Amino acid sequence: MAKLVIKDLYVSVKGTSILRGLNLTVNEGETVALLGPNGHGKSTLFAAIMGDPKYTIDGGSIEFDGQDVASLSPDKRSQLGLFLAMQYPAEIPGLNSSDFFKAAMNAHREKPMALFEYYRLLEKAYKEVGIPFEMNSRNLNEGFSGGEKKRNEILQMRLLQPKIGMLDEIDSGLDVDAINVVAEVLKKEHERGAGLLVISHYARILDLIQPTRAVILINGRIVVDGDASLIKKVDTEGYEWIERELGIEVKKEINASMNNVSIGVCATKEASEANAKGK
Amino acid sequence: MQKENRVLYIDNLPETLEYEVFEGDVLRLNIATFEEFKKTKINVKVHRDALFEAYMADFSTTGGKFNIDVDLLEEGAECNWHLSSMSTKDSKKEFVTSVRHMAPHTNATMANYGITRDESRMIFKGTSTIEKGAIKTITKQIAKVIVFDPNSDGVASPSLVIDDNDVSASHAAIVGRLNEQHLYYLQSRGVSLEDAKRLIALGYLKPIEAGFADENVKNRIDSVIEGGF
Repeated sequence: MAKLVIKDLYVSVKGTSILRGLNLTVNEGETVALLGPNGHGKSTLFAAIMGDPKYTIDGGSIEFDGQDVASLSPDKRSQLGLFLAMQYPAEIPGLNSSDFFKAAMNAHREKPMALFEYYRLLEKAYKEVGIPFEMNSRNLNEGFSGGEKKRNEILQMRLLQPKIGMLDEIDSGLDVDAINVVAEVLKKEHERGAGLLVISHYARILDLIQPTRAVILINGRIVVDGDASLIKKVDTEGYEWIERELGIEVKKEINASMNNVSIGVCATKEASEANAKGK
Repeated sequence: MQKENRVLYIDNLPETLEYEVFEGDVLRLNIATFEEFKKTKINVKVHRDALFEAYMADFSTTGGKFNIDVDLLEEGAECNWHLSSMSTKDSKKEFVTSVRHMAPHTNATMANYGITRDESRMIFKGTSTIEKGAIKTITKQIAKVIVFDPNSDGVASPSLVIDDNDVSASHAAIVGRLNEQHLYYLQSRGVSLEDAKRLIALGYLKPIEAGFADENVKNRIDSVIEGGF
């Protein structure tokens, strides 16, 4: 059984350190909720595991299935069985979805698929995620609504059948019906034997997919590793109890990718408001 | 009676070409180059309610300067120009694509798409001029270059000259490197970096095929894009 083992991981983005000695193990077949306040490194962890070039690994190790993956390119990590459903999937102008899916599926196989087999799998996956099959002829994510993009991510997970799937706020931007559909597909992935690592700010999707474990990421480290009852606790009490019970000071947003004031209309507005306050 | 003409050149473009599209007629020009770059000058005059449409797929392996000048002489004259070009090795390609709106109610789209690889350079220039009196005219310019390799380069500097009000003119000029986040997204699904680049190039250049009537030419464009990466 494949295992994702992360030891003493340090990750930075543009020189700002985000993950600071993170340890976590996820087994194929288990469903784990990854909890934690915004800006503490949840998405960074996923990006580092998948190999996003924006993030730099400064120390520690990421092993999957006994292999050191930190030095591999993202395609090799995918081929080993890792998958990341991204929070903001890229829109690729001009790239036909179906052409891309076929290239991706073939990259996971020794021999290219027969066209008939491919269409059968594609049709089934579209049906499962509840978007029209005709969308396969559209450009990848281009002009898709937020919900369609999320479903399109889940669709790719179904097609690629990873050993461990990471889901970064897969439920944000989805209405209740769509959340139910996505949860159904994730349950199928679990039944297939996939491990799932899930970031979500809403208890609803976690209720539906029933994680067996929950971990809390604070200040760049996993500080609590427990059972699913943590989800309810966080949902009702937030994270203050961690300061009380564990004596860990929870830092306010540590998000390096955003400056307080950026160039643009909003920045002007913010700056003028700050001036007005000053007076 | 309205005439529709179709002209196809494959690597056999002469040094100069002159066309006149008469009232109500349509001329569809297809140009495909796979070998030497053609330093051709094309002049086109378009009369009342006539259409000049051209699709050029340039995959030539050398460089030079290419010019096209289109005069929209009378009301209702229309010009659609679409170019997809790829430069490789140390070639330097320059395309100057200009249109003159000389009468009211004339429409023009001048669209140029390029990919530069290796140590090559591509330049898109051209002027869309709207002369005095050419009211209710619509003119669009698109010039986009994707710079694929660190030592390649692109320039997109088309210009607009507008001498009357009550016209619609739009303009998009973009030179950009390959988007690292796009490549990462595609790679994260198992596709190698080379294949990811090839897929992006295909998506960028392939739409030109829609303007070609000849299936053999379409297949040749496909294979040159796919084989080039």
